[in-house]
Amino acid sequence: MHIPDGYLSPSTCAVGYAVAIPTWAIASKRVSKVVKTRNVPMLAVFSALSFLVMMFNVPIPDGTTAHAVGGAVIAICLGPWAAVIAVSVALLFQALLFGDGGVLSYGVNVVNMAIILPFVGYGIYRLIAGRTPLTSGRRVVAAAIGGYVGINAAALAAAVEFGIQPDLFKSADGTPLYSPYHLSQTIPAMAIPHLTIAGLVEAVMSAAIVAYLQRADVSRLVPSHPGIPLTEADRAPRPARTLAPARVALGFVVLMVVLSPLGLLAPGGAFGEDNPNDLNLNKLGLHAVPAGLDKYNGFWSHTLLGGYGFSSGDHADLGYILSALIGIVVVGVAILLIGLVMRAVLGRRDADREREQEPQRLG
Amino acid sequence: MAEHTTTTTPSWLLSSNVGLCPCGCIGKRTKGSFVEKTLTGGSDLLRQVMFSDDLARRSGLLQRLDPRAKLGGMLLLLIGAGLAHHLETLLATYVVVLALAGASRVPLGFFLKRVWLFVPIFTLIVVLPATLSIVTHGDVVVELWSWHGQPQGLTAQGLRSAALVVSRVAVSISLVVLVTVTTPWNRLLAGLRGLGVPRMFILVIGMAYRYIFLLLDSVTDMYEARKARTMARVKHDRTARAFVGASAGALVGKANQLSEEVHQAMVARGYRGEARVLDTLRLRRADLVALAVAVLATALMLTADRMLGR
Repeated sequence: MHIPDGYLSPSTCAVGYAVAIPTWAIASKRVSKVVKTRNVPMLAVFSALSFLVMMFNVPIPDGTTAHAVGGAVIAICLGPWAAVIAVSVALLFQALLFGDGGVLSYGVNVVNMAIILPFVGYGIYRLIAGRTPLTSGRRVVAAAIGGYVGINAAALAAAVEFGIQPDLFKSADGTPLYSPYHLSQTIPAMAIPHLTIAGLVEAVMSAAIVAYLQRADVSRLVPSHPGIPLTEADRAPRPARTLAPARVALGFVVLMVVLSPLGLLAPGGAFGEDNPNDLNLNKLGLHAVPAGLDKYNGFWSHTLLGGYGFSSGDHADLGYILSALIGIVVVGVAILLIGLVMRAVLGRRDADREREQEPQRLG
Repeated sequence: MAEHTTTTTPSWLLSSNVGLCPCGCIGKRTKGSFVEKTLTGGSDLLRQVMFSDDLARRSGLLQRLDPRAKLGGMLLLLIGAGLAHHLETLLATYVVVLALAGASRVPLGFFLKRVWLFVPIFTLIVVLPATLSIVTHGDVVVELWSWHGQPQGLTAQGLRSAALVVSRVAVSISLVVLVTVTTPWNRLLAGLRGLGVPRMFILVIGMAYRYIFLLLDSVTDMYEARKARTMARVKHDRTARAFVGASAGALVGKANQLSEEVHQAMVARGYRGEARVLDTLRLRRADLVALAVAVLATALMLTADRMLGR
């Protein structure tokens, strides 16, 4: 998954750095705040560790071996922000000393393997492990699934970066200037090996490290798991956490954005999307365009960005991206509003119920 | 060329060991086990670093330049290669890079092997299907089959695109390898600092480099001990995976311990969370000239590329 120089256009690489640099800045601030002067030696040693973890050959059943990236398990041991820096430094060594991954594409590689992989892997791990004790078997399963999903998310990101190249960058006669494959080819090409071998290796590595630390030295996991009890006996009862509307809306939008490339793979289009007259009526067993559809088609034409672009038709790409962003924001705000309304309604009902119960308790 | 070099690393250390051939030269050829592969990986890492160090100490053209000038020039030429749209431009750049390697006394055989194995060859295999009309639409030049009366086969656009990507990958890797093998690691770090990388990151990178080798020693010890304990063929089963997990987990523990100790040692020596450096780099006239040449070369490259057409 280390993208070498030459596969991606310099502008794509610039976007990679534009994402990576602020993330590094936040990561170094977050890590320094937590560990004070310990940050430099800790990050240095764990960067070296991260580099070596990528060197371990993990045996897989068919007799061959494969490497893991280890981004998820490093995030589990250190926290995701420290993992961002540790994996970035390891990738820098690979790029500068061993020619594994490019220099211009370093930013993009960091986004895939040092940002997306640890954060997705760690997020899944937290989600599955919940508040189970550190020695719980569920944490091993959570680490395995976290590693598996994390590396697949990173591979999907790499596939999208490859796949947008031929559409965005080609010469006048249609010669693709960079990676020549389209999204419909890059996504399966990256997904198949990562869903099988690479994902498995990452899962095995993550689970095995967490399992080892649990049985050998569970105290190593304590700093990155604040407030998590060591064993079942130490667990303190906690109030159930309610879902905040803002968090639900954000989570939903992120999920939809992550899943949206699936639409590129799906054949066909929405039913009569552009023009109902384009419908193949015979195939549908209809004799005419349904009256309601015919009546209300084109009934509203005062849209802000008609046809996903500006009314003048200029800057088609920009208009399309802008439409996508506005759409995402509108959907997010709509979910947020629904959530707020639901909370207000449910909250009032809960309050009513409490008020009803109060006299009984007093009596 | 080999007899003229003043290699400080003994040559027997740099050659693969015949007696302990990992593939099992005599008798049945078997796939290397995960233990063998990890050990070989570790020794390959050391060999590569040692050889690069030797090259960086030779007196050649690029070795004499300031690391900032080299890194700056490298970035400019990389961007130039990234923006070039024509095979001719990239080939001309590649010739210049080879000449620079020669002037820096980098052995040509080593340089070609290091660059072409394995990424550009892998790239060539990857882009081969893209030369077909089913991936890259365009003018079919070599007809292989026909589909609904339409000739299908290799397209001019596909072939040009494949050649473009492979040569751009090769030129880019050559540039990076050339700079990194002619610059000692500490100078490379100083160069990164000169390019504006924050000092804290430089400190982390520099220390991480040092601890790679220390931790690598631990890994090698664990794997050699495992190899010594194994009588039969190494199996790739559950216990093997448990061993990998345990060795990596043990490494996490060691790293934790080590970072604690290093931190205490640093604080004991007066570290208060700020990075200071002793040496200051000064750009000499030769470095400025080199940088100017890199700027001119990039400008020339892109102008020539535009003149060849869009």
